[in-house]
Amino acid sequence: MSGHHPHEETTTSPYAARIRAIEALLLEKGILTEPEVQDRISYMEARSPANGAKLVARAWIDDEFKGLLLSDGKAAASQLGMDPEHPAEFVVVQNTPKVHNLIVCTLCSCYPRAILGRPPDWYKSFEYRSRSVREPRAVMREFGFEPPENVEVLVHDSTADVRYMVLSMRPSGTEDLDEEGLARLVTRDSLVGVSVPRAPGATDPG
Amino acid sequence: MGGSPAGPIGRDQHEVEDWERLSDAINSALGARGLQSTDEHRRAIESLENYRDLSYYERWAAATERLLVEKGILTDREIDERAAEIERRWGGP
Amino acid sequence: MTYGPGDQVRVLPLEKPGHVRTPDYLKGKNGWIEFLIGPYPNPEVLAYGLSGLPERNLYKVGFKQADLWEDYRCPAEDRLYADVYEHWLEPGEGGTA
Repeated sequence: MSGHHPHEETTTSPYAARIRAIEALLLEKGILTEPEVQDRISYMEARSPANGAKLVARAWIDDEFKGLLLSDGKAAASQLGMDPEHPAEFVVVQNTPKVHNLIVCTLCSCYPRAILGRPPDWYKSFEYRSRSVREPRAVMREFGFEPPENVEVLVHDSTADVRYMVLSMRPSGTEDLDEEGLARLVTRDSLVGVSVPRAPGATDPG
Repeated sequence: MGGSPAGPIGRDQHEVEDWERLSDAINSALGARGLQSTDEHRRAIESLENYRDLSYYERWAAATERLLVEKGILTDREIDERAAEIERRWGGP
Repeated sequence: MTYGPGDQVRVLPLEKPGHVRTPDYLKGKNGWIEFLIGPYPNPEVLAYGLSGLPERNLYKVGFKQADLWEDYRCPAEDRLYADVYEHWLEPGEGGTA
């Protein structure tokens, strides 16, 4: 069975055995094959916020790519070798000196998994899903970020099949950084919009 | 849910367990095969009576199970029996 | 009818059983059409294994936060956007836009 290490199963969830049972039965009945299941496990493992950071860093240095990212997120992701998966749409929204974007899925925790991998536990929490639409500024404050008073906060509730990601503004003082150095500033939290990228030279993991 | 009063946002991040990865993978593989859709899976999650008592991936696994039984692909009984067998092998209850 | 960008709309306060993708907090609220996202099969019906056809128009709909929450206070004009299906919308009465 896929990745099954009995001595490592320390969970007390009854669903661990149930999903293993389901796997075994589906494989035995030929409904799924082991390579298929392995492929899907590998697929998710290959996806992470680093992909989002790459997209943002490239957009910061290449205006044409930025235009593509904002008009056709999937095409931009494909251009950088990411496989953005059908049929959900992938839309990137841009922060400017006038607006700050925040992403949530109040109904279930939709997230651009095909690009960024699994969302953090807090993103899926009842607290985030309830409060981010009603008090986005208070939520961001909890993440250590407060947009200036004159900046409009735009919340995007992913209620249908569009998955959103935030293109933050490039931090100042980064003129000397190369693309890789820029990507390192782009935190997962800034891709969701609860905060902004690290400043150059900052050491906290954000 | 959106707009309901709620407390501070917990920031603990649990380590994703193997069974959770598997839950994800099976859901995805079934979708790729056209055996269940994202919308069906969401609906199945929403219909779970014990939604609030389950963790995120427990809800996923429970919903996948519900759909497989609903569609007659697997039965409750064979899942129960196999799960019990697996737990015995693990030395659990 | 197909809405165009800027059209004022109101989210219908429907109490539909089953799977819906229109959050409760938007029901009965006034907003505007940002743009048409495109036509998609109806998720409310896909949820039960049916085709979801004919496709329904999905719109990005904007709302002023001040119109959604009585106690919303902020210096700037904060907004919220949700992706809403056409059958959940009716022409609006102008809101506060």
